Amino acid sequence: MNIQNVNHLVHAYKIAPWRIQRQWIGNALLVVVVLAMIATLYLDVTSQAAIAGREIQDLTTSISASQQASADLQTQLASLTSARVMEQRAFEIGFRPMESGEAEYLVVPGYSVLEPDILSSAPILQLSALTIPPEYNESLLDWVDKKIANSARGAQ
Amino acid sequence: MRQQYARRVQALAGAMGLIALAIIVQMTRIQNSPEAAIFRQQASNYAYELRTFYPDRGEIYDRNGHLLAGNKSVYEIGVDLSIVKDPHAIATAISVELGKDYSQVIGAIQNPPEGLSYVVLADYVDVEQALKLQELKKTLQEQAEEGVLGGLTGLEFKSHPQRSYPENSLGSNVIGFVSREGRGYFGIEEKYDTLLAGSPVQAFVPTDPNKAFEIPRVLNGTTLVLTINRDLQASAEQILDEALATYGADNGTIIVMDPRNGELLAMAVTPRMDLNQFWNYGTIYNYASEFNPAISMPYEPGSVTKILTMAAALDSGSVTPGTTYLDTGSILVGGAIIQNWNQEPWGMQDMTGCLQHSLNVCMATLSTQMGAGTFYGYMDGFGFGHLTGVDLAGEAAGRLKLPGDEDWYPVDLGTNSFGQGVSATPIQIMMAASSIANHGRTVTPHALYAMVRDGRQYDVPAQFAGSPISEQTANTLS
Repeated sequence: MNIQNVNHLVHAYKIAPWRIQRQWIGNALLVVVVLAMIATLYLDVTSQAAIAGREIQDLTTSISASQQASADLQTQLASLTSARVMEQRAFEIGFRPMESGEAEYLVVPGYSVLEPDILSSAPILQLSALTIPPEYNESLLDWVDKKIANSARGAQ
Repeated sequence: MRQQYARRVQALAGAMGLIALAIIVQMTRIQNSPEAAIFRQQASNYAYELRTFYPDRGEIYDRNGHLLAGNKSVYEIGVDLSIVKDPHAIATAISVELGKDYSQVIGAIQNPPEGLSYVVLADYVDVEQALKLQELKKTLQEQAEEGVLGGLTGLEFKSHPQRSYPENSLGSNVIGFVSREGRGYFGIEEKYDTLLAGSPVQAFVPTDPNKAFEIPRVLNGTTLVLTINRDLQASAEQILDEALATYGADNGTIIVMDPRNGELLAMAVTPRMDLNQFWNYGTIYNYASEFNPAISMPYEPGSVTKILTMAAALDSGSVTPGTTYLDTGSILVGGAIIQNWNQEPWGMQDMTGCLQHSLNVCMATLSTQMGAGTFYGYMDGFGFGHLTGVDLAGEAAGRLKLPGDEDWYPVDLGTNSFGQGVSATPIQIMMAASSIANHGRTVTPHALYAMVRDGRQYDVPAQFAGSPISEQTANTLS
């Protein structure tokens, strides 16, 4: 096949009547595919956000339940180690109250006086609505709304 | 042929286009119809629900981390009247498991107040009992035929926290208690009620999971760490009980305080109350002042006041430790004769002998020698007649009569010197005497060591209250 034949074919393709129609169909299909992709992406992101939101709600409930269970156990433990119970257990295993004359005071090198316990745990970091950028909690429609509103405000 | 095919295709495309357009038009019409507005309004009604978040009440610990007041779960058990299947089964289960009257329960279910769809059958039910009922409900549901509701359908369980005191009556006078309405009474529970309870938050909570971040954060009440040492408190209470039994006394008080910083390490009184059964309050106490007499029940302190009179006499320069006087066994003050406790003369005594033998005549001699102005100035400085400012609810100030008061007589100058004719609470005497042990300085007694809020601990500093006597006088006396 020489160059002349190739040029003939290219020319024939360029003047073919169905070429324009196929271009239109191709463009239309491209638009449909792009729209479908955006819709799929939007659905995917929205559903994931909804699932994450539901998980947050569930976790919030779980945290409350865990805190309540923890408080229950803490109170139960305190009851089991209360002064009266501990004294009773000490009696049962053979201890008895010490008489004042029986006390022997020893100097223990390095011993430090028992200081009150620091009961607080490390502060829990808490995300609040103010610290979350809008990109993480607004939907595509919210974003479009905001852009339109901003541009309208800018035009005014 | 090709033209005909092209026309068919165009017609089909046109039809498809029209259908698509019709769908879009219909969608737009529906979205903007009056019905849509109604549905949108209905949806917005369910988009948020108004909820009140009650923070957990803060815990109370002793200085070594032993829990003195905490929270435990209890259940409210009620009936959702709209789905009740068998009221008799519910009434039977409740009466058997919780000991409630069957007829009352069945009456509450079958004849509820008008407009109610939920009726509370029992509240503050222990976890074990609630779990038993929950198991029974589940079993009956499993035993029921498929598609048929179980006999206890409609029985609802709602858990909520309740105050619990693991040490029962230990330190009850210091801690106080919380009523079922959540209000603190007496002691720390009342004094720091606002801090412990936290602030309820009322908020619209979104039901939309996409707005989960709007769920408000509710801070629990502040946790308090007391200066009280649980084991010391237990020992003090035991010693007090034994002493009362030995001497046949009705009531007594022991206070252990660090005079350097005012920290109360133990405060034992009688009678005490099991805080988990606070509803017995009325049967144990006749008056509110009996709950913690150490701070709220003034008494005539008697001879313990002598060290304060002596401190005043030394500090004002009226006497020195070596000053002597001749004890004749009585002295005339304001027209009344004051005698020693044994009504005997003790002869020549110095100031040490005065205190050693607890001589009333000596003390009256000192107070008259100082004069009313000086003597009462010192007593006022020691805190007689004033609140100490201790951080426990219900403190009483006692009374110190002063010259010029309608009920003050000259003889009071003599009797007040050995603690008669004045009234003070044990904590006032403790604070006054602590100045002698603390180089002349008094510190406000307090039971709060630290507050823990939002993961941070805030220590409570000691508060200087005054210097009724000089350091030199305090050192001489001690």
